[in-house]
Amino acid sequence: MKPNQLQHAGSIVKSTLIACVCLGLVGQSGAWGFSYGDQAAKNEACLACHGDAREMPAGSFIDRRRFTRTTHAEIGCQACHGDVSASHPDGAQMPRADCRDCHADVSEEYATGLHATKTGCAGCHNPHLVVSPKVISGQEINRICSGCHNSLEMTATHGEWLPQAELHLRMLPCITCHTGSKEYFVSLYIVKSRDGSRFGKMEVASHDELKQLSSGREIVSLIDTNLDNYVSLEELRIFNRSQKTLRLHGMMTPAAVSHKFEMLDDRRNCSFCHTSGPAAMQTSFIAVPEGNGTFKRIAVEKGAVLDALYGTPDFYMMGSTKNPTLNGIGLAIICCGLIMPLGHGFLRFLTRKNRKGKEPQP
Amino acid sequence: MSEKKRIYLQPVPVRIWHWINAFGIITLILTGAQVRFPESVAIFGSYKNAIEVHNVAGLTVAISFSFWFFYYKMVRNTLDKLYIPDQEDLKHGLLRQMLYYCFWYFLGKPSPYHATPEHKFNPMQKSAYLAVMFVLMPLVGLTGILLLNVTPLRVLILMWGGIKIIVALHFLLACSLLAFLCTHVYLATLGKTPLAYIKPMVTGWEEVEEHDYEAPEAPATNPAYRPVRHYPEYAQMQQKQLHD
Repeated sequence: MKPNQLQHAGSIVKSTLIACVCLGLVGQSGAWGFSYGDQAAKNEACLACHGDAREMPAGSFIDRRRFTRTTHAEIGCQACHGDVSASHPDGAQMPRADCRDCHADVSEEYATGLHATKTGCAGCHNPHLVVSPKVISGQEINRICSGCHNSLEMTATHGEWLPQAELHLRMLPCITCHTGSKEYFVSLYIVKSRDGSRFGKMEVASHDELKQLSSGREIVSLIDTNLDNYVSLEELRIFNRSQKTLRLHGMMTPAAVSHKFEMLDDRRNCSFCHTSGPAAMQTSFIAVPEGNGTFKRIAVEKGAVLDALYGTPDFYMMGSTKNPTLNGIGLAIICCGLIMPLGHGFLRFLTRKNRKGKEPQP
Repeated sequence: MSEKKRIYLQPVPVRIWHWINAFGIITLILTGAQVRFPESVAIFGSYKNAIEVHNVAGLTVAISFSFWFFYYKMVRNTLDKLYIPDQEDLKHGLLRQMLYYCFWYFLGKPSPYHATPEHKFNPMQKSAYLAVMFVLMPLVGLTGILLLNVTPLRVLILMWGGIKIIVALHFLLACSLLAFLCTHVYLATLGKTPLAYIKPMVTGWEEVEEHDYEAPEAPATNPAYRPVRHYPEYAQMQQKQLHD
């Protein structure tokens, strides 16, 4: 066997082993009651050194807090870095698994999109930090995109066709318009003013800040007052009325995230969102921050989201959030304007004989 | 018998401003309806078209409004005189004009007020235009400019009470402008002929009866006689009835 054939055979064996480890662990988690505690202890052997920012160079440092919330932490360091020599650290190159070993379907999908020729998986995802879009905020998702796509440049490019481009880019995850999804949901984040004033820039409130505001109780109790893990419209209204410093920001997010990045023409049709009760905006969740930096989803009453958002003092979405009372008052005002033409006009018609002969002919 | 005389009532800049405003406001109302009720109104095609036309029309009317203000205040210096009702207007003119619209008009009596270049508006017009031009238009324009720049003017929006307050204000003011527009267009047809008041806004010239220019009598000491002072036709009519 030639050396390159040997190398190729070796890599196949390695890939197969890694896949087996991954599949085995995935299988374990469901069938045999996988315990993350066991894996965490194994990971700890690596993190003892790699989790110490003072000891490790930036490229080798693993943020323990953020790593432990990833799915990759569950399969363990060795699943991807299986062939670490006994003499490690000996300066030898660290073995790395190929993302495709586990994420082949994602890789195939990604290859058909616009990003395929631009960058690989690591261009957007740090495998030691990556988490499901379900547990991070829309702002965090956009932060990944802004690694390559300069925000100012993107605002200018989108501004060529998109009204209020800056507002749209700030209030929506890029993937909402640039990846296809059959279903969408609205993630409601609790935001607070950065400097505590009502004019300060609003940002997603942290777990610690909300914990303090909820007087040490569960954060969700700020909204879900009966703690039934379900937020009704009434509970949202009460929250909106009672809070002075907190607000809810809604971000429309795809339910199933595709890795095929593309230009979707139907997103250029404003009525995809800007219409009364659009289909894409019926399902919503409250994203409650957790201690480990991720978010827990609390289901919200279906279809209630726009009413709920309308209750927030600083939210308005053209064409979608309309107050029926305000519409009624507007109609009454217009009707008042019609009194003169209709009422006076009618009497004018009835009394036309009185003016006959007194009005000169044109 | 009275003779016809033409007076130059509406100078060119005023006429240009008026028609820019008229088309602008009608466009704003139609596009505004589509922007607020996209599921029911689709006059301008796509939603984006409606927004863009609304924005352009809004800016045009805002600029036109600024020119109007500059022209009347700085060039002609007649803004206050034309648009702010005087004591006489408030004491008697308003009531007299209202009585004319509600009763005298139906009895076939002529209007108690005749426009001159210096006094173009009757007391009711003055009051209505004062509210429209000094309250409604500036407010609807300012709220529109705020809504056009939600991100850069965020702090200003919050100072006004938040975007929802601005939107509600913009919508209700726009409804008020539409209500005014209906009344305004209708009243413009109440001249001696339906087009008598509309023509001057196209040609600049209005045809008036010669005796309309008769100098008013000296103010009566008794306020009860005041209506007659500005109402020569009415006096003539009464005399004629006495003779008959």
